[in-house]
Amino acid sequence: MIWKFLLAGVIGGGCYLDRTAAYQMMFHRPVVVATLMGWIFGDFFAGAQVGVVLELIYLVHLPVGASLPPDDTGAAIFAGSAAAFVSRDAGGGCFTALILLSVLCAELGRLVDAVVRKVNGRIARIARDAVERGDIKAVEQSLLAGLTLFCITGMLLALSFSVAGAAASLFLLPLIGADIGVDLSALALALPLVGAASVFACGRTEKTAWLFFLAMSAAFAVTMAARWMA
Amino acid sequence: MSDISPKARRSVWRRHFLIQGCWNYEGMQNVGFAYAILPALLEIWTGQPEEAQKSVKRHLEFFNTHPVMGAVVLGAGVRLEEKAAGGEGDPAGVGAFKMGLMGSLGAIGDAFFWGALRPMASIAGVLLALFNPLAGIATMLILYNVSQLAIRRRGFQAGFSGQEAVVEWLKKESLNVKTNSRKLAVTVLGGVYAGIIMGKTVAVGATPLHIIAIFLAGAVIIRFVTEMFRKSVSPSEVLLFLLLLGVLILWK
Repeated sequence: MIWKFLLAGVIGGGCYLDRTAAYQMMFHRPVVVATLMGWIFGDFFAGAQVGVVLELIYLVHLPVGASLPPDDTGAAIFAGSAAAFVSRDAGGGCFTALILLSVLCAELGRLVDAVVRKVNGRIARIARDAVERGDIKAVEQSLLAGLTLFCITGMLLALSFSVAGAAASLFLLPLIGADIGVDLSALALALPLVGAASVFACGRTEKTAWLFFLAMSAAFAVTMAARWMA
Repeated sequence: MSDISPKARRSVWRRHFLIQGCWNYEGMQNVGFAYAILPALLEIWTGQPEEAQKSVKRHLEFFNTHPVMGAVVLGAGVRLEEKAAGGEGDPAGVGAFKMGLMGSLGAIGDAFFWGALRPMASIAGVLLALFNPLAGIATMLILYNVSQLAIRRRGFQAGFSGQEAVVEWLKKESLNVKTNSRKLAVTVLGGVYAGIIMGKTVAVGATPLHIIAIFLAGAVIIRFVTEMFRKSVSPSEVLLFLLLLGVLILWK
């Protein structure tokens, strides 16, 4: 089992690098990360299920300028790992609880991200001083230092969040009670709707709002008809 | 066109993917930019270490733009450094040019990549992932990356061809028009997602009144949360509120 957590740390670290420091090819998106975590811990589909919900919720917050969005990669690592440990007949309410708990990781990850960027500020100052002295190659070493910092922090966060996710599933959920699946089922629909609202807020202009609700009505009718006919 | 060797050019291209590698609050992408442009600077200022040093210092000044659009500025930066080395321009103008370009390119890039292309790729991927997770993830990655890599490549080449080529490229790329069309797709696909999710929750055999009530409740929740997002409420705050609600439900 330990090697699985180490693997989660390494893969998570790679995803964290993609998030800010390198490439930005969307390998850090919650649907990718949570599915990967689910695969590592033995339940690919459970990971994908929570990843799909988390993917949309955080879309609305853009990483523009100095603003730091919540760490949706960390939230996905927590929720994806945790979902893989939940028994299959536990019900949707358990997944709801895990997704809600993942917000704590998202905020903690954001704080750590801010600290890393502050440390990078020192690295940048050291690079400027070195260039001032004539050592222009120091720029390369500084970038490598920044990358290493992002990577190591990402790996540590991924390791911690995957352990926390497993612990939440194995110890916290049973402690709360066997009926959690039933009790939180009312909130189970709320999360995808928050995701839909996030998408709506991204695409929306007043002129096209009607298009969203028209598409929603049509898809609602078709889905119900398909279910009733099946 | 630039006289930079293909080797240095490839090196700058490879390095530009790490432009945010040392992102910091003071200089933002400054170290990443200096790192990416370094192979070209060493070639341009061969045998002139003092000029090379001055030029690296210039590129360690504050810099921030959208990471994909950084490719354009890098290409143009190399071209301007070449001109400065050939006595055709003022080296100090390189910084001014970068400053002028980064703001507008950043705004265009943020609106297109973060505000339109990424949501479109995400919602398309999520819709497919509801039926097949692997197909969904592959769709999302392909939709986003094919577009961003192509724009990076074309922008980088335009930058290398000079300032006029950058303006021409921006016109030809018409990212504003593309932003609007992607946002329209996001709106439609978002509506489809909401409809599918709600359609799945209605019990088979429910009365018409029940169906209408569920649909309207969903529409009102979406509208309400959207307004909250528009008023800068963070997704985390919404989730924390729901977490609190969940705790209260379990407490009861």
